[in-house]
Amino acid sequence: MNMLEVNNVSKIYGSLHALSEVNLTVEEGKWLSIMGPSGSGKTTLMNIIGCMDKPSLGSVILDGQDITQLSLPQLTEIRRDKIGLIFQQFHLVSYLTALENVMVAQYYHSMVDEKEALLALERVGLAARAKHLPRQLSGGEQQRVCIARALINYPKLILADEPTGNLDESNEAMVMNLLHQLHAEGSTIIVVTHSPEVSKHAQTTVVLEHGKVASIINN
Amino acid sequence: MNKNQRFILKTLFSSLIRRRSRIAIALLGVAIGATVLLGMVTLCYDIPRQMGQEFRSYGANLLLMPANNQSTMPMTEVKKAVDLLPSDKVLGVTPFRYDSIRSNQQPYTIVGTQFDQVSKTSPYWKIEGELPKNPNEIMIGTDIAQFAKLSIGSTMPISGKSKENSRFDEELTITGIVKTGRAEDNFIFIDLNDLETLLEERNQAEVVEISIMATQDELQRYIQTIKEHSNTVEPHLIKWVTQSEASVLGKLSSLLYLVTLVVLILTMICVATTMMTVVMERRKEIGLKKAIGATNKSIAKEFLAEGLILGIIGGVIGVICGLIFAQVISANVFGRSIVVEFYLIPTTIVISAVVTIIACLIPVKRALEVEPALVLRGE
Amino acid sequence: MFRRMLLSVLVRQKKKLFLIALTVALGVSLATAMLNVMFDVGDKVNQELKAYGANLNIVPKGAALVNELYQLDDKQDAIQYIKQDDLVKIKMIFWAYNIVDFAPYLTTQVMVNGKPVTLVGTWFNKHLTIPTGDEVDTGMLAMKSWWSIEGNTMKDDNLQGVMVGEAIAKQLNLKLGDSIELTSSTQKITLTVNNIFHSGGVEDNELYVSLPVAQNLANKVGLVERVEVSALTTPENDLARKAAQDPNSLSRTEWDTWYCTAYISSIAYQLEELMPDVRVKAIMQVAESEGSILQKTQLLMLLLTILSLICSALAISNLVTANVIERSTEIGLLKALGATNTSVAMLILTEILIIALLGGIVGYFIGLGFAQIIGQTVFGSFVEPKMIIVPLVLIMVSLITLLGSMPALRIMMFLRPTDVLHGR
Repeated sequence: MNMLEVNNVSKIYGSLHALSEVNLTVEEGKWLSIMGPSGSGKTTLMNIIGCMDKPSLGSVILDGQDITQLSLPQLTEIRRDKIGLIFQQFHLVSYLTALENVMVAQYYHSMVDEKEALLALERVGLAARAKHLPRQLSGGEQQRVCIARALINYPKLILADEPTGNLDESNEAMVMNLLHQLHAEGSTIIVVTHSPEVSKHAQTTVVLEHGKVASIINN
Repeated sequence: MNKNQRFILKTLFSSLIRRRSRIAIALLGVAIGATVLLGMVTLCYDIPRQMGQEFRSYGANLLLMPANNQSTMPMTEVKKAVDLLPSDKVLGVTPFRYDSIRSNQQPYTIVGTQFDQVSKTSPYWKIEGELPKNPNEIMIGTDIAQFAKLSIGSTMPISGKSKENSRFDEELTITGIVKTGRAEDNFIFIDLNDLETLLEERNQAEVVEISIMATQDELQRYIQTIKEHSNTVEPHLIKWVTQSEASVLGKLSSLLYLVTLVVLILTMICVATTMMTVVMERRKEIGLKKAIGATNKSIAKEFLAEGLILGIIGGVIGVICGLIFAQVISANVFGRSIVVEFYLIPTTIVISAVVTIIACLIPVKRALEVEPALVLRGE
Repeated sequence: MFRRMLLSVLVRQKKKLFLIALTVALGVSLATAMLNVMFDVGDKVNQELKAYGANLNIVPKGAALVNELYQLDDKQDAIQYIKQDDLVKIKMIFWAYNIVDFAPYLTTQVMVNGKPVTLVGTWFNKHLTIPTGDEVDTGMLAMKSWWSIEGNTMKDDNLQGVMVGEAIAKQLNLKLGDSIELTSSTQKITLTVNNIFHSGGVEDNELYVSLPVAQNLANKVGLVERVEVSALTTPENDLARKAAQDPNSLSRTEWDTWYCTAYISSIAYQLEELMPDVRVKAIMQVAESEGSILQKTQLLMLLLTILSLICSALAISNLVTANVIERSTEIGLLKALGATNTSVAMLILTEILIIALLGGIVGYFIGLGFAQIIGQTVFGSFVEPKMIIVPLVLIMVSLITLLGSMPALRIMMFLRPTDVLHGR
């Protein structure tokens, strides 16, 4: 079964074609990486897949639902239930502890459960830092909190935008390791990156250039 | 309370406690607004009242005179009439009794009165020396002093006829000289009791001046009441004083109202801009929460709660400062303590909460309208 | 580069800086309005207090003792009079422009239906040409604002008309338009009731006619008995009180200050200087109370102004702080790029000062508008914009924005670029 189908998607900002007629298919449980230089449209594509933006043309079918037809509240619902987001800049709430940052996702999803949140942190190796504020954590630790937050609601799709962009090598390895574990457990993973190193972890790599799919590589 | 509610309350307090500098700014803003609101409105209420009291320096505004063309009225009747007035508003009641006497062949008018009341109903009298305290002491008008070349401490022989037609001759000591620029400059003032002894007639007054804190309408009502209850005493409005007071006081009050209005509008906008700046800073946080699946409603609710708490705390601080503000002004200008309308206190807190919430929600609404992707990406 | 950065901030951060400009504009408009009203409120309230009528009484030197009280017929010869021709001099003293109004009075007894009645001759609203070239309208009607008058406004050239006090009208059963026959010791004339008035005082028992009519009846052509003057005065202070006792006790400089200030005592003194054989008496009831109310109002406005200035200062500085805190990332970046604290501070201060000045200029004019609204609504007159307020407000804006930036700058000094850039 296909987790994601992107059919003829274009995104046009004025006269700028950020994406033109992109076609993609991701099967459930696969790891896809979207690679390309800056300005190739990969972030735009990720925003569309992540239900944070709508395409100008074309359709996107996520888990059997055409998300281009949905209203904003419905998109919010999809984001909450099906997608776990990992950002390059982590985007943690500055005044909440690591644990609370994970619980925020639970709160908006359904019901907070401190034990479960703590387990998620333990899983990313941060149980000891649960009561720390983001500014007391290193970049790698912050990204791991971000991952814990992304996986807490058991999303079907994990979307990571340059997850290692701000990290050193050892932290990069740790983050990729976590993604592998999630993949092994059956999550579908899409990683947007400009680094060939990171994209090698994926089963399939889609290379974007000037808003178009330039090539599809199966690793 | 379920776990979710407990959690969101906890994050709310985290937001308030861990963002100390921002919260301090926001609280300061709200507190300034509330201070000005309560302070100005309290003053608005109280100052016309206080000013009214100041206007009593113009002296009596109500006159009691004998009815039915009698020349005098019994003091017992006067007392009955005065008892009809609200005692806490009456500042002074001064009876006057006039009689003609001669001193060194010159005719003079002697006025018997109660000196302790005169200083209340006619605070504008300029008195050199002291008010008479003992029998046989008098105060004279400045024109007499000049004309007869008399000064404080000198004596003045007087002679006259009592009501029983017996002649009296007295040697009176001058303790003070009064200057008003009016008829009083030509009068000799003596204690009413002493004059009554000389005249051998007690408890009669020709005119009674009353200084009472009241508006013109209230005075008209008092006059009506006295007219209904008494046929020996006739009340008169001193229109010269009341009408002018009404017009000047009216202007002063409307000046105050307008100033208050202007100050309030401006301060409220200032409070709102501060709150907006503080909230605008959190666009990213709003974007993130939206990205991880928060609905607009739940985010708005969080900010509403935060605004409510800030508004209430700031309002309470403002109420305290506002009372001090009003008190300082009242004490400095009028030397009196302010009268606070107590319902203004909760009203102020409610208004500051409402303004804070509105000021919070405007930027939140704007942030919510933007796609989370844009907020998270762009600066 | 400094200029370029400054420009780009000013252009690109429009929205945020707009809030600062708005707040400064509001603060400044508040300050301008309050200061303008405060500086003007004395004059305005002083004008209003003229509702209480005259605060000076001019009487002939020798008349002090007699007529006001007794009205003894046998004493009449002792009364001296003021020459009507001297009256214009009232408008020729140093403080001529502070003389709002004046009216002469000549009182005489007449018989109506065999009863003695007091008749007063006066100017109602007389047009005068002063030898200095000025023209003024002056008279009793403007001074007796509390009288309620029935009938058409009485004119000075109406020599057949009479204003009748309410009490006497009732007593004689007179209505508007009725004829009334007056007899004096020498003449007999018939007048028409032009007005019936209520004053709430002794005037209700009197008749008021144009001055020449009374002069004829009393056989005192060209003479008046006393003059009531309403003057704008400065509240009394120690100097004025000392002078009121005896002007000769003042030192030279004290005397100059006193003479050149519109104290009631100096106006009285100047009137006595110019008009021969008169005594000018301050009516204490009006003069004293006027002073106290004026002072209270001015003090009240001063305190309100100070407190609202403090409030707007706090609001502005608060917003500046909020703005700088919000921009901590940008500041951290500049510092990371090697900017010193001083250069960052300079950049921010210049930027905020420019914005504040722009807002201040707008605010100044808004404030003038507010002051006019207040002046027009409350006093029905124009509030004179005082030039002194411009530098005052300018200094205030600069100081407040500088002081307001202090907490923000302090925060900035301790900002470590790494903290900000790593989003901690």
